[in-house]
Amino acid sequence: MKHVIVIGGGIAGMQCAAELARGGVRVTILEKQSDTGGKLRNWHKLFPSLTPAEEVLGGLNHALKRSSEIEVRTGCEAAGVTPQRVTLATGEELECDAVVVATGFTLFDARIKEEYGYGIYDNVITSADLEQMFNSGTVSMAGGGVPRRIAFLHCVGSRDEKVCQRHCSKVCCVTGVKQAMEMKELFPSADIFNFYMDIRMFGPGYEEMYREAQQRCNIHFVRGRISEVSPMIDGRLQIKAEDTLTGRPLKIGVDMLVLLIGMRANDMNTVLEERCGLKRQPSGFMQPRDQFLHNTESNVPGIFYAGAVTAPKSVGESLNEGTAAARGVLDYLAAGEGSNKLTVAG
Amino acid sequence: MSFYADFCIPFIVGATVMFAVIAIKYVTWLRRLPKSDLMLIAKGIATPRTLGAVWEVVRESLLHRRIFRVNPLLGYMHMSLAFGWFLLIVVGWIETVAYLGLRWVPLQGHVFFKYFMPMNGITGHKPLFDLVMDLLLLFVLSGVALAWFKRFRSRSLGMKRTTKHVLFDRVALSALWFIFPARLVAESITSALYGGGSFLTGGIGAGLAAAVPPEALAMAYEPAWWFYSCALGVFFVAMPFSRYMHIFTEIPLIFLRYYGLRPEDKEKSYDNFELQACSRCGICIDPCQLQSQLGINDVQSVYFLRDRRYAMLQQKIANNCLMCGRCEQVCPVGINLNTLRLNSRATMRNIPNERRYNYLGGLDRSQGEGRVGYFAGCMTLLTPKTLTAMQRIFDAAREPVWWADKEGGVCCGRPLKLSGEVDSAQKMIDYNKELFRRHGITTLVTSCPICLRVFREEYNLEGIEVLHHSEYILRLMRQGRLSVKYSAATFTYHDPCELGRGSGIYDQPRAVIEAVGQLLEPAHTREDALCCGSSVANTAINDAQQLTIARGVAQELDETGAETVVTSCPLCKKAIMRGATHRVADLSEIVAENLGR
Amino acid sequence: MINFGYSINKPRVIDIDRNNLHKSNEILREMPELQTCIGCGSCTATCTAGNLTEFNFRKVHTLVRRGEYQGAYEEMNKCMLCGKCRLVCPRGINTRGVVMLIKRKLGDF
Repeated sequence: MKHVIVIGGGIAGMQCAAELARGGVRVTILEKQSDTGGKLRNWHKLFPSLTPAEEVLGGLNHALKRSSEIEVRTGCEAAGVTPQRVTLATGEELECDAVVVATGFTLFDARIKEEYGYGIYDNVITSADLEQMFNSGTVSMAGGGVPRRIAFLHCVGSRDEKVCQRHCSKVCCVTGVKQAMEMKELFPSADIFNFYMDIRMFGPGYEEMYREAQQRCNIHFVRGRISEVSPMIDGRLQIKAEDTLTGRPLKIGVDMLVLLIGMRANDMNTVLEERCGLKRQPSGFMQPRDQFLHNTESNVPGIFYAGAVTAPKSVGESLNEGTAAARGVLDYLAAGEGSNKLTVAG
Repeated sequence: MSFYADFCIPFIVGATVMFAVIAIKYVTWLRRLPKSDLMLIAKGIATPRTLGAVWEVVRESLLHRRIFRVNPLLGYMHMSLAFGWFLLIVVGWIETVAYLGLRWVPLQGHVFFKYFMPMNGITGHKPLFDLVMDLLLLFVLSGVALAWFKRFRSRSLGMKRTTKHVLFDRVALSALWFIFPARLVAESITSALYGGGSFLTGGIGAGLAAAVPPEALAMAYEPAWWFYSCALGVFFVAMPFSRYMHIFTEIPLIFLRYYGLRPEDKEKSYDNFELQACSRCGICIDPCQLQSQLGINDVQSVYFLRDRRYAMLQQKIANNCLMCGRCEQVCPVGINLNTLRLNSRATMRNIPNERRYNYLGGLDRSQGEGRVGYFAGCMTLLTPKTLTAMQRIFDAAREPVWWADKEGGVCCGRPLKLSGEVDSAQKMIDYNKELFRRHGITTLVTSCPICLRVFREEYNLEGIEVLHHSEYILRLMRQGRLSVKYSAATFTYHDPCELGRGSGIYDQPRAVIEAVGQLLEPAHTREDALCCGSSVANTAINDAQQLTIARGVAQELDETGAETVVTSCPLCKKAIMRGATHRVADLSEIVAENLGR
Repeated sequence: MINFGYSINKPRVIDIDRNNLHKSNEILREMPELQTCIGCGSCTATCTAGNLTEFNFRKVHTLVRRGEYQGAYEEMNKCMLCGKCRLVCPRGINTRGVVMLIKRKLGDF
């Protein structure tokens, strides 16, 4: 029986493993964390349908457990990759016939944008922090108060040369709209302001959601990037931005500021490039063989990509890529390009 | 004896042109000096300063002590040429006096003494002079050989790159390279025909006499002296228009400097002395990060001075400088490179406008009250960690503070000055000065080294002590008003240009760091520290270029292995953060984090 | 507020057909990254001068790029060149360089 190693037990890796097992291949998932699920484990609800993340994760975990050919190794980090062998950080070597790299992305560390005050002022939080608050069921200000005015800032760590992240993280716009609506549900009397540079509603139902946020939830969208956040005497946060549509500087005091942090490439991608001969894009994300017909293949035959390892992607897109990568791996194995040491199992 | 021969004409013409041009230059420059500068000269001339200047002329113009510090071999090269030639002239003069007694001998008589006084026609031959003159000639020739060598293998003399020269320089340089070999040939042939000379000219002369028939030697005799005279003549004519003008310019420059003359915000006649004192040695090229990290090859101080001297300076050259001061630090002539560049920018860009910044009138956004004023600086408003840390430090020291610009103040004026708009900058200086006075502060603390510099140098804040926060924090600690905890944490420190080389503050931040943990120094440190690349003085390089420089600096700091990179300038902090893998923090942050009690 | 007798936001059409884009193109040739501005307003929000008087760097340079040069020089003269805008610009535009360039190129307008 052929053996495929999937590096990364996030949603793309899980989906891919399940599809591979269905195709009659033995799969090992290497997961750095203590459990599968990746970033989605810390997410509450998914845009635009507000489907609980738990539901998606439950489905994926169920598929993994159903197959006896899937082994999940947690607490396990890959250090070197060839199509025939994956070397672990511990030095252990695992033989295989193909590899799927589904290592995903890293959340931008908002402390780097010091002027936004994350890590300095208690009521500046990130979109990831807010999802965890939703999950824990206690959304409140640092002291426990009810926020009366909340601001969201889009594009934190995206489209920003100053932090060397040129790319658009794609999902923060719609996340900002979704979270603003959820906050409005929780705090109906709160005023909510979303500060944005461009609103990119690229997916089905996203634009409708945006419209609903504006019309039904009365969320204010201000076109301007926040430049500075400072504390006010009453303990609130003062935000400075330009209201670019009126062409005038704008000041506003808020109780809470949510930074919509972007996705950046994993530091490990440089290792993949330098040690494993895999190509990387200028953004730091891995480079698929091409954008169209082989977008889940790497430049090395036998190494495949699934999910956000190649670019920021939404949950739906990552899942699709898991399936697509599995299809590619199965075709590759069937074509007999796998390791010669193993015979093709029936 | 008439001391004249036809071959002397090139020499005589050359020397006359050279001295005439130099005299015209000196007289023009001195006459155009502003009255205040002339007063300084008048006051200083009859004081011990003159003696100090003489001593420095010996050390620098002749011995080139500062170049020795850059590289001993390079120092030797410059010294052998300058000091050797000087001694040849002096000993040559003594030799004439020794043979002929104290009588007037025309210049060419001294220079071509061997020609006019061949040893066979002389009574009382003094071989000691032959020996000394040969030794000196060898000394100079060794320098010439090194200069040749340097053209082709600059690295061996400690320079990665040498200067690209203009036409006058090439002419003068070629002539200079021929002068001493030509002298060697001419004197050797003379020795061969008429005797005299010591181990060098005498030795070669004896060899020639043995190998070459006397008729051939006699035929080469006059042309050899012609060639020597021509080399001298060409050099002398080209000299005042070439980089070799520095030979004579550095001397009055040293005197003027001893009398207290300095370049200022606007160009003035004194600048000519500094400009033409540049020998274009090119020592300023290697330390320039625009060169080493970005490969920009035409903006360094040597080229800036050259372009300005020949009145072909372009804005893109004048503007492309970080003004980090690394070149000024190594310049063997001690030229005020930053000030000269700044006043060039002023000439190009300073357009006085009375109405400009009228909107400043009546503004006051300051907060709080106290004898201590805190001016965070524009950039510091973008690093709020510094602001909160300073607040904690003030609170811990129970210091009531007047915050000048928490809500946004008026710029200190230095960025505007750095881009040449000197008169407009004065409006900001006047505004802030009035603001400080109105609030009755006695101490002014700032977290921005750019502000610090202009506060100290231009504001004339009598009665108000201006401190950088590193100095202020250290003072609080020494006074026992602030106590910090020492831990096993490791730090490295990046010297901001304006704080280190600009204001001479190196030790205070280090003392503060050593009070909270261990300090690890990077490869380039203190006077030699690198620039972060984000300097407000440079408006020519783009973001990607700034990033390249920042990454280079960050890498060097990371290589120390320290857990935290510390700096004390908001601009440096932001720049280094773009490239560092370790945590980057302002000095105030690590103090605030480790407050004791 | 002192009124100098001009205004950069006259309520009129920006007539690209009539505007001479020569100067604007010259400026963009020297500073191509200016074209990458996405109009986020960070520069204006953080602007030291813009918080004290009516000065909108983003608006002025956008108008210049459209061939509207009138008053740009005087507007840019309000800038203190403090450099905060360059530090916040997410596109890495050399904003101080832009101010100086516009002043140099449009001194006559």
